[in-house]
Amino acid sequence: MKIMKMHNAKYLIREGFHNLWTNRTMTLASVAVLISCLLLTGAAMLFSQNMGTAMKKLEGSNSITVYLDEDMPVLEAVQVGETLRSIENVKDCSYVSKDEALESMMELLGDDGTVLQGLSGDDNFLPDSYDISMKDLTKYDETIKEIKAVDGVSQITDYSDVADKLTRIDNLVATAGMWIVLLLGIVSLFIIANTIRVTMFSRRMEISIMKSVGATNWFVRLPFVVEGVMIGLIAGILASGLLFLMYHLMAGVITGILSFFTPVGLSQLVVPYTLGFVLAGMAFGALGSMISIGRFLNREGENSIEA
Amino acid sequence: MSMIEFKNVSKTYGNGTKAIQNVNLQVEKGEFVFIVGSSGAGKSTFLKLLMCEESPSSGEILINNRVINNLKRKEIPYLRRTMGIVFQDFRLIERMTVYENVAFAMHVVGAAPRDIRKRVPYILGLVGLQSKAKCYPSELSGGEQQRVGLARALVNNPSLIIADEPTGNVDPALSFEIVDLLSEINHRGTTILMVTHEHNLVKHFNRRVIQIHHGEVVADTEQSKPAVAEYIGDQEGWK
Repeated sequence: MKIMKMHNAKYLIREGFHNLWTNRTMTLASVAVLISCLLLTGAAMLFSQNMGTAMKKLEGSNSITVYLDEDMPVLEAVQVGETLRSIENVKDCSYVSKDEALESMMELLGDDGTVLQGLSGDDNFLPDSYDISMKDLTKYDETIKEIKAVDGVSQITDYSDVADKLTRIDNLVATAGMWIVLLLGIVSLFIIANTIRVTMFSRRMEISIMKSVGATNWFVRLPFVVEGVMIGLIAGILASGLLFLMYHLMAGVITGILSFFTPVGLSQLVVPYTLGFVLAGMAFGALGSMISIGRFLNREGENSIEA
Repeated sequence: MSMIEFKNVSKTYGNGTKAIQNVNLQVEKGEFVFIVGSSGAGKSTFLKLLMCEESPSSGEILINNRVINNLKRKEIPYLRRTMGIVFQDFRLIERMTVYENVAFAMHVVGAAPRDIRKRVPYILGLVGLQSKAKCYPSELSGGEQQRVGLARALVNNPSLIIADEPTGNVDPALSFEIVDLLSEINHRGTTILMVTHEHNLVKHFNRRVIQIHHGEVVADTEQSKPAVAEYIGDQEGWK
């Protein structure tokens, strides 16, 4: 193919826009389906990303709180601490008195925490505890067993269950999301291809004239590819706008319910997501139009002389 | 030098139709040739073979001394640029003016806008349509529309014009005008191949006539030889 000249590029873009406008019902349908496809993909990805950070936080803030038997004398508690520290896989082990525990709980609950104020001092229902973090998380289960075996340990809050559940939900969302996105992807390709086919059908005489005067297949093809790419571009921009709006609203609602949850900041998402959406949209548009043009050029392009 | 050469060319379609059988012919540069024959005789296939829309089942086709039998798809557009095609049904784009229709053909092959602005008015002048440049095809008579078609075929300066029944949809009185124009273009050195049904035209213009019947060349007058009618005998044979 020869290098595209500037005036040709201008012609192609003008034709692309013209086609979009003449064909606006179909254009709208293509854009709408592509938007929903991108939105779902984006939602699934955002969900997964937030899950990821939430779980990392869970692992990082770590880990296990080991509650000691109630009203254990301080000296004994220190001894339990020593034993805990001697366990192979324990990295850190810090003492949290019942008062400290209450304070941090009040902090976590924010405004609602004030209800706990009456429980300070002797009324404190919380036991003393140790916060333990591990060196090697793969040995999690064994270490938990060892800790439980230590005398004076009454209970362990262990986040492995929660983490397990979160992972499972995340996987479920990822798989379901993937299938839905795949399905919608096929649907959008199909609709884009059809939109382009409608344009091509209405332009079939022009195409046959173009071919009869010696236009290259690329020249015939490109305005339609441009049309498809523009559908993708529009869908990409609108979808990212919508996604961020929805994310912003959702994040507000969720942090209202779970105050300790901090969603991934919008500012760090805007660039990669918009870029990804726009590129994916354009690729889809180009692909959709290439599918129908290939078929069209082979089937109908070659009959300028009637039999 | 020959413009077109067919050597033992046959074309059999997938369904078994033998459209062209063992055709041998040669058209020199600068010739004006009428191609006549009843419908279904193989004229369309003949043109399709020339334009590389179909490739022959056997034999060899040369254009400008170049074998075009098995051109790659990519090369076909460049072959087409050496020929201008005039259609029976004009094939003008309704949403474009006369000027734009002609300019479109230049545009499509990547001509520079500057060249288009120079060349299109010149060609419209040649076919006598400079005053109609801003009209739309629907505002023109059949004869005028076909002149636009002719201008479009000419604008890229092809060495061969293929006219597929160019007078078929034109008022009979104006048919002569079209062929006159083709003759004038021929005088400027362009080879003309015109498929037609119209006996009157062929008789009047006294040019070489190739008659195709059942896929074979059954008569071929050389350019300077006497009137066609004597060879063809009965007029009905063409229709």
